[in-house]
Amino acid sequence: MNKNRILGIFTDLIVFILGFLSLAAPFIFPQARNLNTQSAMFPIMVSMIIVLCLLIVIFEAQSSLLDSKMIAFLAVLTAINAGLRFLENAIPGPGGFSPTFFLIILTGYFFGNRIGFLIGAMTLFISALITGGVGPWLPGQMITAGWVGQSAVLIAVLVKKLRWKGKPAEIILLCAFGAFWGMLFGVIMNLWFWPFLGAGAGQPFTQAVSAVENLQRYAAYYLATSVVWDLTRAIGNVLMISIMAKPVLRIFQRFQLRFSFQNNGEMSLQ
Amino acid sequence: MSSIVWILWVAAVMAFVLSTRNPIYLILILFGLFVLGNRLARDKKIKTWIIPNLRFLLMMVLLSTLINALFSHVGSTVLFTLPQKWPLIGGNLTVESLVYGAINGLVIGALYILFNIINLALSIKQITRLIPRAFHPVAMMVTIALTFFPSIQQRAREIKEAQMIRGNPMKKIADWIPILIPLLVTSLENAILLAESMTARGFHKQVDLRSPSALISLISGVFFVFGGWVLHLYRYPEIIFIPLYLFGGILMVTTLIHIGKRTNITRYHHESMKPADYLFVAIIASYLVSFAFLAFGQRLTSLSYTPYPQLSLPPLQISATIYTLLPLLPLPFTRDDIY
Repeated sequence: MNKNRILGIFTDLIVFILGFLSLAAPFIFPQARNLNTQSAMFPIMVSMIIVLCLLIVIFEAQSSLLDSKMIAFLAVLTAINAGLRFLENAIPGPGGFSPTFFLIILTGYFFGNRIGFLIGAMTLFISALITGGVGPWLPGQMITAGWVGQSAVLIAVLVKKLRWKGKPAEIILLCAFGAFWGMLFGVIMNLWFWPFLGAGAGQPFTQAVSAVENLQRYAAYYLATSVVWDLTRAIGNVLMISIMAKPVLRIFQRFQLRFSFQNNGEMSLQ
Repeated sequence: MSSIVWILWVAAVMAFVLSTRNPIYLILILFGLFVLGNRLARDKKIKTWIIPNLRFLLMMVLLSTLINALFSHVGSTVLFTLPQKWPLIGGNLTVESLVYGAINGLVIGALYILFNIINLALSIKQITRLIPRAFHPVAMMVTIALTFFPSIQQRAREIKEAQMIRGNPMKKIADWIPILIPLLVTSLENAILLAESMTARGFHKQVDLRSPSALISLISGVFFVFGGWVLHLYRYPEIIFIPLYLFGGILMVTTLIHIGKRTNITRYHHESMKPADYLFVAIIASYLVSFAFLAFGQRLTSLSYTPYPQLSLPPLQISATIYTLLPLLPLPFTRDDIY
């Protein structure tokens, strides 16, 4: 493994740990459950740390792979994916259903973690620019969508190991992954939104009880408010992946070969 | 007004909104935001700006009130009691928790409307230009994506029409395969053309931004900020966590500036600061300094109103009320803006 790759993995790990610790702070640091802390600086500081983490991953990803081919490829794919968000009304589906995730997952699965991260984060950024949705919620959405694309590489590793490539099990695994992230995306976004909303005395987070009890409270709150929404997203992901995965992966394969023209012996898309 | 000035204004309003739980101040801030937003929307010929935002605000207040009332059972003025055996929501439903929830809703609503205004005030071009120079390839990617977006949408419409003429009912998700696949193929063909022409014009890999030392100093920077934040949470003295925040922030900013210098960029439609912008910056800076001075010196006690344990009238201070005029500040400055 070369030095850059090790540094890349190290960066991803650090960012994931810091991002996770910030988002899940109320569970981990008892002081973060303090009523006064929550209502004032807390959401802003979490946003700040997430923005900084986002900058680091994007910096690492862009400096190691963005040349003219990748810029053009990712830009167009991001524009298509951002456009799919506008089809949300056109493609039938209720609640949290969003047709963007399947392309993020498939891109991350096929092209690797860095491209997966960039496509996830940039899709959310571009569509926020277009719809006028830039706000403090955007960094959280970007990093989580980035993680969706980034973690899809785990499925690629698993499929390679189990030699499931081209078999129905490959699609089933991707569907399960889509369902998993359909739910997890909601859980993480709730955590993000939580400090803004949940600063009421005594709950949802309280310093008086343990982290485990807080986790139970959060689970109950989640079940009561968000589970239906996220379930539709998960089912939507499964449907989209089960139907679209094969043809889309075939297209990716075709274009991977075509995008691998070389210039002065530099790295290709692979 | 220049985009940097708008960002400063947002930071100042956000600082005020997040530091208060006094409903009167929040309502005054919201009033100012609505006046400013309405003015900007009118300038941009958007007719229905107030109603959807007002609807969102009311929805947020209602939702937050309901959630807080159901989950929080603190407060002395009990309206009614839900059976204790009901998990989480069982207990007293109090006026205080209703009010606290409504205040939370006002905070969220104000933040949402604040950013809605920024989206109105700044063009996409201005927001894209705010991407730091060190992220030049990403900025390039964003610009290309935004340029391609309308043509991709147009192509999607054309393919959809062609499919519908051929009798595609467009009801199931599977019916979208004949749209999505041609869209992907044709758009990626365009991407190849673009990549080839970029390479032919010498934009293959302009600058090598790879720098392990820069990456390590960025990671160290975020570590310092994070460490400062954890110490801040645990109420360590300011003398310990503020230097950590500052050091981490400065480390990251200087690294990005240093890396950014490696890229050569051409400034197209360069945005310059006008004298009015400098005046605005001076007002905001004096606002922030005085606000920080008063707030940290515990002189703006009316900011931290809480309805618990028993509902009382929110206190008012003239000094804090003056700060609520901040949302109206851009009004005289935006007159000559050309979008």
